Amino acid sequence: MIGFALSPGGADASFGGNLLRDGAIGTALVVLIGGAGAVLFGASAAWLVSLCRFPGRGIFEWLLVVPLAAPSYVLAYAYTGMTWAGGSAIEVRGLWGAAFVYAIGLYPYVYLAARAAFASQSACALEAARTLGATPVHVFWRVALPLARPGIAAGAALTMMEIAADYGAAYHFGLTTLSTAVFRAWYAHGALDAALQIAAVLLAAAIVFLLAERWARGRAAFAGGSTRWRALPRYQLAPLPGFLAALFCGALVVFGAILPLTWLGRLALLHGDLGDIAQPFANSIILSSTGALITLALAVAIAVSARRASGAGKASVLAAAMGYAAPGAVIAIGALALFGAARSAGWIGGLSAGLALTALFWTYAARFAAAGVQPIDAGLARLSKGLDASARTLGAGPWRRMFSVDLPIAAPSLGAAALILFVEILKELPATLLLRPFDFDTLAVRAYSYASDERLLQAAAPSLLIFIAGLAPILILTHGIGRARAGQR
Amino acid sequence: MSTVTLRNVRRAYDGAWALDDVSLTAPEGKVLALLGPSGSGKSTILRLIAGLEAPDAGEIVIGAETVSGPGRLLPTEQRRIGMVFQDYSLFPHLSAGANVAFGLDRLTRADRDAQALTWLDRVGLKHRAGAFPHELSGGEQQRVALARALAPKPRAVLLDEPFSGLDPVQRAELRDATLATLMETGTTTLFVTHDAEDALQVADRLAILKGGRLLQEAAPRIAYDQPASLDVAAALGPINVFDGVCENGVVATPFGNVASALANGARARAAVRAEAIALRPGNMARVLDVRPHGAHDLVRIAARGVVWRALTPARMGLGETVDVEFQPAGAFVFSA
Repeated sequence: MIGFALSPGGADASFGGNLLRDGAIGTALVVLIGGAGAVLFGASAAWLVSLCRFPGRGIFEWLLVVPLAAPSYVLAYAYTGMTWAGGSAIEVRGLWGAAFVYAIGLYPYVYLAARAAFASQSACALEAARTLGATPVHVFWRVALPLARPGIAAGAALTMMEIAADYGAAYHFGLTTLSTAVFRAWYAHGALDAALQIAAVLLAAAIVFLLAERWARGRAAFAGGSTRWRALPRYQLAPLPGFLAALFCGALVVFGAILPLTWLGRLALLHGDLGDIAQPFANSIILSSTGALITLALAVAIAVSARRASGAGKASVLAAAMGYAAPGAVIAIGALALFGAARSAGWIGGLSAGLALTALFWTYAARFAAAGVQPIDAGLARLSKGLDASARTLGAGPWRRMFSVDLPIAAPSLGAAALILFVEILKELPATLLLRPFDFDTLAVRAYSYASDERLLQAAAPSLLIFIAGLAPILILTHGIGRARAGQR
Repeated sequence: MSTVTLRNVRRAYDGAWALDDVSLTAPEGKVLALLGPSGSGKSTILRLIAGLEAPDAGEIVIGAETVSGPGRLLPTEQRRIGMVFQDYSLFPHLSAGANVAFGLDRLTRADRDAQALTWLDRVGLKHRAGAFPHELSGGEQQRVALARALAPKPRAVLLDEPFSGLDPVQRAELRDATLATLMETGTTTLFVTHDAEDALQVADRLAILKGGRLLQEAAPRIAYDQPASLDVAAALGPINVFDGVCENGVVATPFGNVASALANGARARAAVRAEAIALRPGNMARVLDVRPHGAHDLVRIAARGVVWRALTPARMGLGETVDVEFQPAGAFVFSA
């Protein structure tokens, strides 16, 4: 991929250069504005839920994660549809519309990281500050917030990575970002060289965000370190601030999930055509389940070999993490170039649909393996290092250890990983759009093509299905939140 | 059962020697205790024998087979070495019976289950065969781990701090039961501990380590009565030390003379075990402090500005003056 990008440019290098510059500016703007909004929403909500007591706190604690269920493009379709049809005073469009959709849809990344950071703080550190004469307000600014800052930064970096990678919503709002520029270079101009160059810049940006996230998370682990641990006492808010806190959290959930979900549901019921989405639905199920199984196998291999601390295992974890950071458009254009080259070299012959599907599964595996590795690794982390050594002293070879020790113990997380992968692939738009066989529509592709034709009524039904599917892994995720906190189940 | 031999074994972590030129032998069918503080290299020895790590130099021989050596590293799973880990490492997804059966996979299913039950019976846990590890107490988990390690009839069994993490009563019971099982099966055993009492009571042979070096390998009684160095003496119980000079075959301490074979005028360190000191009313030393220590009292005594500790059955009063006497078997002199 990088090799292609660095190869000498085509004749219209200036066209590629302009597109690259405009895309870079567009990405920078939307990442900054959308990211700032997400940090504001996510960090405030995390602080309220972790350190304060107010009506509905317990429910908001997990409801606040729900907006993560919808991919940005689905929120984008819902909001533009809503504001057109309603003839409302506010119109969600352009840069600010996109920034709003990203902020309201992606703030849970910041919320989760910041919540974990607040939750891992020991009451002892805060109480020590109190005994040293600090008021509660001082304690927040001088102890709690600085301790949570690396967590918030990690969440922010993740959010920005997602915004930079997004194609669907950016395209829908007519933005020129690096992601949309890759597509424009390839689709509108057929310029693979230019597309690859833009993709390389986008990949570099994504890697910067990934490294920032890793670095911040490493510091967060350090900040959380306290040997004596006791639950945080929550600060009881007075009735009016308490009401405002509930209102704020409620607004995030309503705008991030309930309102768009209701709107899409209403449209789907009124205008949905079952016959129209039956085929894409079937295609999505087939593609997502096959893709999930292939990716799961890869993820298992990576997670297990990484646990065995082999050099190759460590390298493959890093490669998977980079794949996850790489926007779908980048990997897809890379796959296109790679498989195109292999095909013209005569290495791969046969049906082009078969070739396209191979390229597509390859893209899914490269892109999402890390999403599968993480829960599997968490499952394997529950085993002590001694278990593998035990099995070895009892004469079990590597395969027996994998099948009778590692995998049975990680079995619940294998199920979770499979579901997460299934939904990630179901939601995936840019790579599927670029690499799918001719006339092979998935739900995401169908929603996208209706939306591009401004037929938002018809786009509602496939969007709704994607949204609902997205809720499943969220439930798993929220189930795991409480466990992240020591001494609480 | 086989002899396990280490010859000139070295192992470094991050440039520092965890094991520096260690040679020792675990005799066939006997219990060898590896005693030393944290970081002395004793657990590293077990991991090297099990093949979980490779030595940087030297060789390890089990029976007649060189399992680790220059250009040779037999994989752990082919070594036929049983190991009981400090955290027991029972498979959480398998019952006690299935844990014990894990290493018996070459047998038919019926034989496997029967043997697993026999082994559980030997450690007194037949009735718990269906229980999962989280349903077992710490002591029960340890016994399952022992049965699991012994079931495949290993050439030797390695125990890593097997009694740590248990309360004192359980600990003593389990120590006796484990020893009984090992003797009954005649298993070559290497067992790591930092507890001198465990080592002295369980072992046929004792290897004392410090900082990656083997200080002494001997029978427990020999190591206790004739320590090769001050460190060995200190490893097996509390000692008092006095730096002085050897004159006329003795080192004179403020509390009395210790016989020495060193040359006249040689600088010497006298070491006297706290439990080898007897006190009776007299005027050599003053009692500073008395604390009950089981049947004995731990008494701090002072003479000429030097303070020693004595572990003695005699009940002394604070401020009393006493005469001091050493049992010769607990008093040593080393050259300084």
